[in-house]
Amino acid sequence: LLSGLSAVAQTITGRVASADDNQPLPGVSIVVKGTTTGTTTGADGRFSINAPSTATLTFSFIGYETQEIAVGNRSTIDVTLRGDAQTLGEVVVTALGIQREKKALGYATQEIQGEALTIARETNVTNQLAGKIAGVTVVGSPSGIGGSSRVTIRGERSVDLNKNQPLYVIDGVPISNGFTGASGRNNLEVDFGNGASFINPDDIESINVLKGGAASALYGARAANGVIVIKTKSGRGNKGIGVEINTNQTVETPLVLPEYQTVYGQGNGNGGDFAFVNGGGAGLTDGTDEAWGPAFSLNKSYPQYDSPRTLNGQPTNFRGGDLNAPAGSVITPTPWVAETDNLRKFLQTGRTNTTSIALTGSNDAGNFRLAHTLLNQTGIVPNTDLKRYTTSLSGGFKFTPKFSANAFVSYIKGESGNRPSISYGTESIMYLFNCWLPPSVQLEPMKDYWMRGLEGVRQYSWNYNYHDNPYLTVYENTNGQLYDRVIGNASLKYDLTPWLSVQGRTAIDYSSEKREYKRAFSTQRFPFGQYRDSRIITEERNTDFLFTANKELNETWTVSGTFGGNQLRQKSDFLETNAGQLNIPGIYNLTNSRVPLQTSQSLVEKWVNSLYGSAQVSFRNYLFLEVTARNDWSSALTLPEYARTFGTQDNSYFYPSVALSAVLSDIFTLPQSVSFLKARLNYASVGNDTDAFTFTQSYNPSDPFGSSQIYGETDRLANFNLKPEISDSFEGGVELKLFKRRVGLDVSYYQTNTRNQILNIPLSITSGYNSRAINAGLIRNNGVEVALNLVPVELPNSLRWGVDFNFSANRSKVIRLADNIQNFVMASRRVSIEARVGERMGDMYGIGFARVQNTDPTKPYYDATGQYVGQMVFNQGRPIATTERIKLGNYNPDFLLGINNSLTYRNLRLSFLFDIRQGGKLYSETQTVGREGGIIIETLEGRANGYDLNLPGNGVIGQGVKVVSTNADGTTTFAPNDVKVNSRQWHTAWTGGRNIAEGVMYDASFVKLREVQLGFNIPDRIWGRVPLRGVTFTLVGRNLAVWSKVPHVDPETLSYSGGTALPGIEYMAIPSARSFGFNLGLKL
Amino acid sequence: CDNEFEQINNNPNVPTAISPDLLLAGVLRNTINDQVNEAWGIGNIVVQHTAKIQFVNEDRYLWGERNGVWNSVYGNMRNVQNIINLATASQQNNYLGVALVLKSWLFSIATDTYGDIPYTDATKAKSDGVYAPKYDTQETVYNGILADLKRANEILGTGSESISGDILFGGGSGAIIKWRKLANSLRVRYLMRISNRRNVNTELQEILSDKAKFPIFESNADNAALVYQATAPNQWPLYGSRVGSFDEFRASKSLVDRLTALNDPRLPVFARPVERPSSAGRVEYTGIPNGLGDTPALNYNGGPQGVSRVGLSFACLVCSTPAPVPNVMRGLVMTYAELQFLLAEAREKGLITTGSAETYYLNGIRANFDFYKAIVPTEYGINVTPSPEYFTQAGVAYTGTQQEKLQKIGTQKWVALFFNGLEAWFDWRRTGIPTVTPGPDNLNNNRVPVRYPYPLNEQSLNGTNRTEAVTRQGTDDLNTPVWWDK
Repeated sequence: LLSGLSAVAQTITGRVASADDNQPLPGVSIVVKGTTTGTTTGADGRFSINAPSTATLTFSFIGYETQEIAVGNRSTIDVTLRGDAQTLGEVVVTALGIQREKKALGYATQEIQGEALTIARETNVTNQLAGKIAGVTVVGSPSGIGGSSRVTIRGERSVDLNKNQPLYVIDGVPISNGFTGASGRNNLEVDFGNGASFINPDDIESINVLKGGAASALYGARAANGVIVIKTKSGRGNKGIGVEINTNQTVETPLVLPEYQTVYGQGNGNGGDFAFVNGGGAGLTDGTDEAWGPAFSLNKSYPQYDSPRTLNGQPTNFRGGDLNAPAGSVITPTPWVAETDNLRKFLQTGRTNTTSIALTGSNDAGNFRLAHTLLNQTGIVPNTDLKRYTTSLSGGFKFTPKFSANAFVSYIKGESGNRPSISYGTESIMYLFNCWLPPSVQLEPMKDYWMRGLEGVRQYSWNYNYHDNPYLTVYENTNGQLYDRVIGNASLKYDLTPWLSVQGRTAIDYSSEKREYKRAFSTQRFPFGQYRDSRIITEERNTDFLFTANKELNETWTVSGTFGGNQLRQKSDFLETNAGQLNIPGIYNLTNSRVPLQTSQSLVEKWVNSLYGSAQVSFRNYLFLEVTARNDWSSALTLPEYARTFGTQDNSYFYPSVALSAVLSDIFTLPQSVSFLKARLNYASVGNDTDAFTFTQSYNPSDPFGSSQIYGETDRLANFNLKPEISDSFEGGVELKLFKRRVGLDVSYYQTNTRNQILNIPLSITSGYNSRAINAGLIRNNGVEVALNLVPVELPNSLRWGVDFNFSANRSKVIRLADNIQNFVMASRRVSIEARVGERMGDMYGIGFARVQNTDPTKPYYDATGQYVGQMVFNQGRPIATTERIKLGNYNPDFLLGINNSLTYRNLRLSFLFDIRQGGKLYSETQTVGREGGIIIETLEGRANGYDLNLPGNGVIGQGVKVVSTNADGTTTFAPNDVKVNSRQWHTAWTGGRNIAEGVMYDASFVKLREVQLGFNIPDRIWGRVPLRGVTFTLVGRNLAVWSKVPHVDPETLSYSGGTALPGIEYMAIPSARSFGFNLGLKL
Repeated sequence: CDNEFEQINNNPNVPTAISPDLLLAGVLRNTINDQVNEAWGIGNIVVQHTAKIQFVNEDRYLWGERNGVWNSVYGNMRNVQNIINLATASQQNNYLGVALVLKSWLFSIATDTYGDIPYTDATKAKSDGVYAPKYDTQETVYNGILADLKRANEILGTGSESISGDILFGGGSGAIIKWRKLANSLRVRYLMRISNRRNVNTELQEILSDKAKFPIFESNADNAALVYQATAPNQWPLYGSRVGSFDEFRASKSLVDRLTALNDPRLPVFARPVERPSSAGRVEYTGIPNGLGDTPALNYNGGPQGVSRVGLSFACLVCSTPAPVPNVMRGLVMTYAELQFLLAEAREKGLITTGSAETYYLNGIRANFDFYKAIVPTEYGINVTPSPEYFTQAGVAYTGTQQEKLQKIGTQKWVALFFNGLEAWFDWRRTGIPTVTPGPDNLNNNRVPVRYPYPLNEQSLNGTNRTEAVTRQGTDDLNTPVWWDK
């Protein structure tokens, strides 16, 4: 309707220059779009062309990005062309989905192209940020198969471990990244993946990481920890119809396996014999689950769980462990030999197949992309799997030149028959292998995991006192998941004037999930089995409008601005029903319950309304100033009616940011070698609210006692005067390109102060409550990020070698907590993660070894002579525990460094990424309990020749001192410890019976060969008439090798506790996987 | 939009107001279960009712952090305090009385376990904003407990409301008298507890002199003993154990030898015959000494089959075939038997003048036999009835010097306190009866622990007050006696 105006052709002149150095570009092609009218620039970069005011001019030049400019009423058009993507002048997606020229940004961002995510893959795409983005820390799941990852950007700001995750945004719209789960209840701890783990990498065009407050201020509260901005692929720019196919086939094998001893079998350390009778103590040590038994020998045979039974001398079908065997049957002894590599034999080669097909197309009016991706993964733990089907459709359509629509919808269906149980407990296989499976137990016979004749009713195993047959665990006791999720958005955009447009957008992220926990009869924790069914629906809706203005006032000044508003509506609906015992084995249905069903249900809703705006001023295209402002109104900070009288409401919060960018290389004349130099500076404030229902002081139901219903008051004390949290940050940075971009350097320094944090501060339970919601604290983060890109070799014969370094170091310090509160226990599991005033975030405290001191005569172990200061004190040969917790280290790294090398030569490409982490400590539960069980290799110390303490190599004398006498003046007289204890006692005493943590803390530094790619592009010409194009074959590998000082486990691990990821604590993680295979991409 | 936001932020899932009955049942179940578990974990072991054959740390006094009692008492005190507040506001004196009894019982457990504890300032975070309560001396705590019990006795029955949620005594009008009896019986227990530090004669005698004003337990029917249910999750708390975990705990040699010497028919209740007797077919009970190292413990008497398991009445679903009954044993708060032994001691020592020590003593023994006789299922084939000679044998007959008599009272009481939380330990710490000898491989320099250290979290969360208490009381370890034990 707006095309009725007839346009008159006019003469337009102008100059085309390089954006890099503003030098004129000769030979640039200029065409009136949709016509054959065209010209080229002269030696001075100038041109002249006739075109109507309605026309669009297309400027294109080899090596530079093509630009389209609407003529409008201008007669002069000066254009700067940017070198294309590989060089500089990138356009990046910033807040609200707005694309900005990178050089205009006053803050740090870093980008990964989609291709980098689909060639060498991760099921959870967020894992691929590791090593590639400076300042980003990623720790993967302890469960394998697409589990959750913990991502932090620029360190931890909040003392609430759950609050340090960045916001994920798809096409300008936030999505949900909740952990609904990893519930620790009743030994059913399972990682079902977090929201971001379901994103399909094949649909991603690019990921841009906005690290600081200024970058993310427009996203509001949830962006305080940075934003991961995902731009999805579209059909734009592909004339006609195109088909892209990508397939990826990899296998996974364990990267780090624990080292177990294979010298001694099941038993209790008396050097006596072994005999299986009933796996419950009726035989000789057959009820123990420890590996302190007799040494393996070819000369020994014992009745064992897998030994055959005979009856009256005749063979039977029954084995030792078939306790239902006929009375009088006898177990025939079998050789006492070690099962070596039992875990390796138990685990299998995982396989991941991903195939994606995309159909794209566009014409002048519109574009579309329709894609389907199938992910089929089987884990390294038998019978664990994940299937994920993603169908995505995106499209854009121009109704008129001024009025357009865009939409994206992605439907994700996830299915897992079984995700492994994790953590320490009978449901977890690593609990068994690392702690309680003696190497005398042969694994193969356990595959037949029912007692003969009692299939489905009674398991067959090596031990009936404590443990489950691991094959029963993985094949029968499954944690299934069915997951449907729709992420979509639709927007309409209208250009009110050439410089002002308005956009309306609505988006939804809806997921519906069913989880099924099945437990078979005779499982240790569930003798009558169990069936639990959870339904989780989460929904996030965002509706927004945005006015965007962009006006070049004259050659000197350009101004632009935005104004918008957003409504966020979050809702989750949880329903769980548990049949705690079953009537009939194997029927997993709630109607089969032999006890009253237990139900829990909750509905949670939160709304946030926001208004925001930004303004940018550009001066001569080399000085840029941007200011933003946002105000949020949160339902979570709104007092419900009953709470009105108790407090003052503060549910509206405003926060601004300002950012400055100066392209110094355009302002000043710099030496020829400097291609580009930019400085940037910003300040930002970001407000934050809290969870829904923080103001509820509730009484919660629990299971009734007969007809007596039961409620109890929540142990968290509400606070009705909560204020919004505020995070203030400053950031400065420099970007430098030297020698025609052969050297690129991007350095950032930042400081973030997070104050008024809303947190549940733990209280002494003697106050009646375990925690209280407060506004408190000041956490200060300081850090440096350096991205260095080098091209040491670039030869005319197309050989190119590039090296990229991503370095980051962050220190988060606790400046202040609350009045009278000097420390805050953030999490506790053997060691406690505490925020203490004046100390670093991430410090871990625990019980240590008591040591000799000469600083305080009133304290124990004071050595007046000073001779033994610092030595461990032993009592009866065992380390003495400190009475107080001591600092055991910090789990945060000193620095992270990613080094990526890429070599290209003609059609060949080789790249390899090393990921280096220096510093940080890790607590190892595998050490604590694996020592107790006599399983891990360390437990050979002190039993080189069995258990007789008179033989050499047996028993351990701890390095340190013993107390000779405690003197009247309070001092102590010491002598070197000379008390020998037997091996078994020694290894238990090392942790003081799971009490002392100091002896099992490790330096978690590592070097990982994170990724290797060897790719070959097949030149299109060889296909001739066959319609194949862009065929790329790449051999890929991820997590191929790791070098570290941490024994038994991948140093890159964490544990889960009731839905919270606990860093720095290793707690029976499933071994991480090394993955390798190939990727094949092609176009039709 | 504030109105809309108010609606949105109004939690629809749970109530923010409640009535006392809905809290009461939870407090009773939680605290009594916790007492059973604490008895199992430490109480039975430290007084040598049971001993461990595997994972022997507790038995060697390597106790580490023990915060179960602390968390149980204070965690449940929140709801007790809520009942007190609700009942006070609506003048429901019966609920108030019940809550005061529970408050007294719980605080006594905490102070007897740890010594000085937060008391007057405790559970005041919501009402008074006290987030780090100061620790009171044990004497202060006991003054409060005794006053509260006295008050409970006075006000119970003066309210018009009927009690519900009372899973201990069944609620209704019939329960009021039982709560009063518990209040006064507990008062006797706690007066006796502090009797080495303070003259308690007058108060004890006052209770004994007026049964109408101060009713006390008169038979097993008055026992404060929770009856569990046949179905999960309200079964005997150990019913869901793994068999291996349950069988780590065995009958202690101290218990088996003492009961064997008396030919005591309760032995088969507490212990099962060994699987591998010294000669085939013999019914043999063998206890294991406490405090052995891992290897000697597991090898004692030829291994686990040579040591008596804990009795079927206490055992888990998978502990035996056919499965044991899920709710034989009661969750004990206080029994008539214990009261009788307390009175026997008081009378013997002349703290009271009412009644005869011997009668109290014999009542106590008979009551404990009757208790088990009533609950042990007939299919277990255990005859808990003592022969007449049982009472006349030298080890039982109320004869000898006063010290010998007190020894007999204490020993019978020790048997009767089997699985009664930590009460047997508290009582042993006061009386030293019976003799408890640390095991050969103990790691506490041959001292029996007399206290739990404060939970580690108190160092972080209530550091100043804890330090003050430690300075006053003595080193925060297992060996510092509490006030009444000094």
